Amino acid sequence: MLSRILFTITLCLTLFTAVFAQSEGASSEKRITLRFTVWDGDEASKVLRKEIASFEKAHPNIKVKLEPVNYDRYFEKLLTQYAADVAPDVAMMDPGNFQRFSKRGAIFALEEFFDDVPGFDIKSYYPSIVKAHSYKGELFVLPRDIAPMAVVYFNKDMFDKAGIPYPDGNWTWDFKPHPELGDKDFLTLLKKFQKKDARGKVTQWGYVPGWPELFVDMVVFGQGARYVNDAEDPTKFNYDDPRVIDSFQFYSDLTLKEKLIPSSFDQAGTSTKQLFTQQKVAMFQSGIWETPQLRVEIAKPDKGGFNWDIALAPKYANGERAYPTGGSGYSIMKKTRHPKEAWLLTQWMAGAPGMMAMAKAGIAQPAIQELALQEPWIPGPNTPEDQQIPKNRIITDQAEPFVVFPPTGILYPDLNLMVRQPVGLIYTGDSTAKKAFATSQPVTQDRLDTLRREMDLPTFNWVAAGTIGILIAFGIVAWIYWPERKIKRTSKEQRENRTAYLFIMPWLVGIVIFTAGPMILSLLMSFSDWDIITTARWRGFGNYTEAFTIDPTFWKSLSVTLIYTLVSVPLGIGMSLGLAMLLNTKVKGIALWRTCYYIPAMASPIATSLIWIKLFQPEGGLLNAMIFGPNGQGGIPGLRQILQPLAGSNGQINWLQNEQIALPSLILMSIFGAGGGMVILLAALQGVPQYYYEAATLDGASAAKKFRAVTVPLISPALFFSLITGFIGSFQVFTQAFQMTQGGPNNATMFFMLLTYNNAFRTLRMGYASSLAWVLFVVVLIFTVLQLQGNKFVYYEGSDR
Amino acid sequence: MAVVPQSKEVAQKAAQKSASKAAWNGYFSRYATLIVLFVGAALFLIPFYVMMAIALKSPAEVAATDIWSWPKAPTFQNFKTVLENTNVSFWNFFRNTAFIATVTTAGVIFSSSVVAYAFARLNFAGKDRLFMLLLATMMLPGIVTMIPTYVLYARIGWVNSFLPLTVPAWFGGGAFNIFLLRQFYLGIPRELDEAAFLDGASYFTIFSRIIMPLSGPALATVGIFAFMYNWKDFMGPLLYLNDPELQTNELGLSTYNALQAAQWHLIMAGSVLVMIPIIILFLIGQKYFVKGIAMTGGK
Repeated sequence: MLSRILFTITLCLTLFTAVFAQSEGASSEKRITLRFTVWDGDEASKVLRKEIASFEKAHPNIKVKLEPVNYDRYFEKLLTQYAADVAPDVAMMDPGNFQRFSKRGAIFALEEFFDDVPGFDIKSYYPSIVKAHSYKGELFVLPRDIAPMAVVYFNKDMFDKAGIPYPDGNWTWDFKPHPELGDKDFLTLLKKFQKKDARGKVTQWGYVPGWPELFVDMVVFGQGARYVNDAEDPTKFNYDDPRVIDSFQFYSDLTLKEKLIPSSFDQAGTSTKQLFTQQKVAMFQSGIWETPQLRVEIAKPDKGGFNWDIALAPKYANGERAYPTGGSGYSIMKKTRHPKEAWLLTQWMAGAPGMMAMAKAGIAQPAIQELALQEPWIPGPNTPEDQQIPKNRIITDQAEPFVVFPPTGILYPDLNLMVRQPVGLIYTGDSTAKKAFATSQPVTQDRLDTLRREMDLPTFNWVAAGTIGILIAFGIVAWIYWPERKIKRTSKEQRENRTAYLFIMPWLVGIVIFTAGPMILSLLMSFSDWDIITTARWRGFGNYTEAFTIDPTFWKSLSVTLIYTLVSVPLGIGMSLGLAMLLNTKVKGIALWRTCYYIPAMASPIATSLIWIKLFQPEGGLLNAMIFGPNGQGGIPGLRQILQPLAGSNGQINWLQNEQIALPSLILMSIFGAGGGMVILLAALQGVPQYYYEAATLDGASAAKKFRAVTVPLISPALFFSLITGFIGSFQVFTQAFQMTQGGPNNATMFFMLLTYNNAFRTLRMGYASSLAWVLFVVVLIFTVLQLQGNKFVYYEGSDR
Repeated sequence: MAVVPQSKEVAQKAAQKSASKAAWNGYFSRYATLIVLFVGAALFLIPFYVMMAIALKSPAEVAATDIWSWPKAPTFQNFKTVLENTNVSFWNFFRNTAFIATVTTAGVIFSSSVVAYAFARLNFAGKDRLFMLLLATMMLPGIVTMIPTYVLYARIGWVNSFLPLTVPAWFGGGAFNIFLLRQFYLGIPRELDEAAFLDGASYFTIFSRIIMPLSGPALATVGIFAFMYNWKDFMGPLLYLNDPELQTNELGLSTYNALQAAQWHLIMAGSVLVMIPIIILFLIGQKYFVKGIAMTGGK
C-alpha cells in the first residue's frame, strides 16, 4: 500500500514538474525588462529603487529589475552568470574588477553610445575616475561615483573629552611618533586616546581603518610605492619592495605590539564600524558610503549617541598625500538583447539624476565634479536637518587630486589574490611581512611570467577532441558487450532483454548524459585553457605540469585534504564505535540518547558552520572562554596550563586564524558529526547475537578479547562501509571551509574541493580545474582500491571467509 | 591439574561474594555509562544551546554578556526581524528547498526502484559489466563531472532554475540507491514472481503488484535519505541558483550571513529557522531512518 502511494505521488510530481517547467518559459511581456545588478546594501538599494521608478516613468516601455548581491561574491557570480548566459543587462563595476569582463569581451566599450543621448558629455566627469574605468583608452564603465577612502569619521565628544582639537586634515603620519608636532602627529594622537583597564587590556583606541588593507594601502601609496610596476600592463609585482613590506609590518606592529589600532582579535566578532558606533574608537577611516548607515546607527547625543563629523585622512611626513580610492559605475553586458535601452538606464543612473539621488542620501560622491560641489552633496541652507551631518563633505573633492586606483591590468585581479595569500598571517602576528612575502612574491611573479608567455596559445581543436571522446565512449560500450558477442537468445529471452532495457533506460540515459559524457568531456577539458566564455585554447599537459611543478597551492591542498581524511575519518569511526558500544549496554531511553547524538550530524551544514565560527572566535568565543575564562581570568583549571602553549600573541588560541591550529580545529568540529556513524554501528551491534558473547564468557574471554574476537569481526561490514563512505566524503569536504575559513589562513584549510571550486568558478579556469578534478579522482580511486584489498578482513555472515 | 575440594560453606561464601561484587560492578558500570552518555550528549548539544541563546538575546545583551549565558529577557524580536527582511525571504527559501527536495526524492524513488528491479530480477545483454559500471560510479567524486555538467546546463539555459537540481534525480536516482534496492529485492523470494509469471503476469505487473508492495520500508529509507541529502545540499544551489528568489535554505542562510556582517543575533536566529524543519523531519522519520541505516550499513 505504502509503495502504491509513493508511486502515485511520484507520477503526480512528474506531471507537476513538467507543467512548472512550461509555465516558466511561457511568460512574456510587451514591455522589455532590463535586469540590473549592484552590490549596494539595503540603504543604497532603497535609493536606487526610487530612482529606477522615476526612470521607468520617463521610459514607459522599459521595466527594470534590481538584483542586489553582496560584494564578496559579486564578481565571481556575475562572471559565472555571464558564462551561463543568464547575466543581467546592466551591471555595477569598479576599477579593480571591470577588466575581468572587458578582457573577455563581456562588456561594451561605451563610446559608441555617447551620441545617443543629446547633451551627454563625458568631460564633465572627474578625469581620474574616467581613466580608472578605462583600459588602453577605451571606457568600459560609466562612472557613478568616486570614493577616495580618505574619510576619517571622528567622534567629536571623545575629542572634547580628551581636550584635543578636531582634526582638520593637516596632520601627518610617520613610522615613528613625532611628539614635538603634538596633535598634528597621527601616532602621538593615537597614544593620547589609548586607554587600558587594570589588567593592561586596551579598552579604547584612537583609530581604526575600515579594513586592514585600507591603512596599509595609504601607507604604501604615501611613500610613493605601488604594488605593481605598471597599472595597465604589469610585468612585475613589488612585494619585495621594502616600502611595501614595511607598510604591512607597520600595521601589524601598531595593532599587535603598540596596540594603537584594534586588531581583528580585539574586535571580538564585531565590525570596525561597530567599534566606532559603540564609542570604543574615536576615529574610523573608510569611504563616504558609510554615512547613511552611520546616521541610522548613531543615536542623537541626547539619546545616548554622540556628535560626529569627517576629516581628511593624514598625509605622509614628507607632505605627500595619496589615498586608495574606489568608485564604481555601470557597464552594459555584451549579451544583452537591448543595448540601446541598457544605455538609457546606465546613462540615467550614472548621470545627473542617479547621482543626485545618491548624493541626497549621502551615499556616494557624484562622479561629475560640478554636482560634487553643490547641494545636496555639500550641505547648505536647504539641506534637511537629518542630512546635515557630516558637515565637512567638501573633503571628498579635496581628496580627489590624490586618488590612487587599483591597477587595471587584465591579469592583475587573480594574481593579486595569489600574492596576498599569506597576508592574514601578518595581521595575526604569526609571520613577519618579510617572511610572508618571501615565498608568495616569487611564486606569483613566476605565474605572471608564465601567463604572459602563454598569451597566444593555439586554439583548442574541438573536432579532434570530440573524435577522441567518441572513441573512448565506443571503447566503453565495446567493453560492456564484448562477452555477449557469441550469445544467442531465444525469443522469450529477447523479450526479457527488451523489457529489462526499458526498466534500466532512465539510468542508461542518466549515466550517458550526467556521468560518462561529462567525465570524458572533463578529461578533454583538462588539456585546455578555457573560461567557457572565450574560445578554448590548447594547453597540452600544461595544466598537469602547472599543478605538479608550479602551483604550490596544489601540493598544500592535497596534503591538507589527506591529513584531514586520515585523521578525521578514523577518529570519527573510533568515536562512533565508542558511543555505539555505550548505547548498546541496555541503557534506558536509547531513542532519546540516539537523537541527542545524531542531531549535530544531520543539522544544517551552513548553520553549524556559523555556530562554530562563534564558538571558535578568539575573543569571547566559547572555547577560549572555557579555557582561559571570559576575561582572560579563571577558566577550567588544568586545561589552561596544557593549552597555554597554543595561544598566540593575543593570549588566546586563534582556532581558525592560526596556520597550525586551523586544520585541527576543523577536525575537532568534524567529530561532532560522529553521531552519523554511531547510528550505523549501533544498528550493527544490535544485530550481533547475544549467545556469541555468552559463549565467549563461558570460555573465560576478557572484555578486550571479546571485543577483538566477537564484536569487531561481526560488525566488520558496517565498519568497512563507514570507512569507505567516510573516505570518499572526506576527500570532498567543502562547505565548512567555504563558509568558515575560505581556505585560509595561508591555505592551511584549502581543501582540494575548495581549490577546484575556486579555480573553476571564481577565476573561471575550467581547464585547470578539470585537471585538478581528475587528480582527485585518481587519488580517491587508489584509496578505494587499497581499501577493497583490505576487504578480505571483512566477515560476511554465512560466507566462508 | 587436580581440583582441590573445598568445603561447601567456603564455596558458597565465595560464590556470594563474587555475585555481590558482580552486582556492584553492574550498578557501577551502568551509572558510569549513564554519566558518560550524559556528559557526551551535553557536549554534543552545546553548539545548539549557544545558537538558541544568542538568537534570543537583544543585540545589546549579546554585546554585554558572555557567550554561554542564557538571555535574561528572551526576545523573539530577532526572528521577527529576520522574517520581515524584504531583501531576503526565509519563507521563500523554505518553499524552494521543500520543492526541490520533494521532486528529487520522487525522482530517486521512481527511477532507482525501476532500475534496481531489472538488475535484481531480469537477464539482459551486458548485465554484469553494466552492474560493474554502476558500482564504479559509486566511488566517483562528484567534482569530476561537476564542471562539464555546469557547462552543459549553461549551454542549454538551465542555470538559474531548479532543473539542474531536480531533473538528474529522475535518471537513475544515484548508484547507491539502486544498489541498495537491488540488494533488498534479492531478498524477496523468487517463488513469488515466478508463480505470477506462470499465471501470465507481465514483468510490469510483477514489479508493480509484487515487488513494490513488499519493499515499502526499503523505499522509505531511500526516500528519506534522498530527501535529507537534497534538503541540506549546498554545492548544487550555490552553483546553479543565482536569483535571490530561487535560493534554498542553506544558500539563503549563507547569503544572509554575508549581508549581516557580524550581526550575530540575526545570523543565529536565521540559523535556528533553517535548523528547525530538518530536526522536526528527523524526529518524525526517526523510526524509518534507523531501520534504514541498519539495512544500509550491514550489507
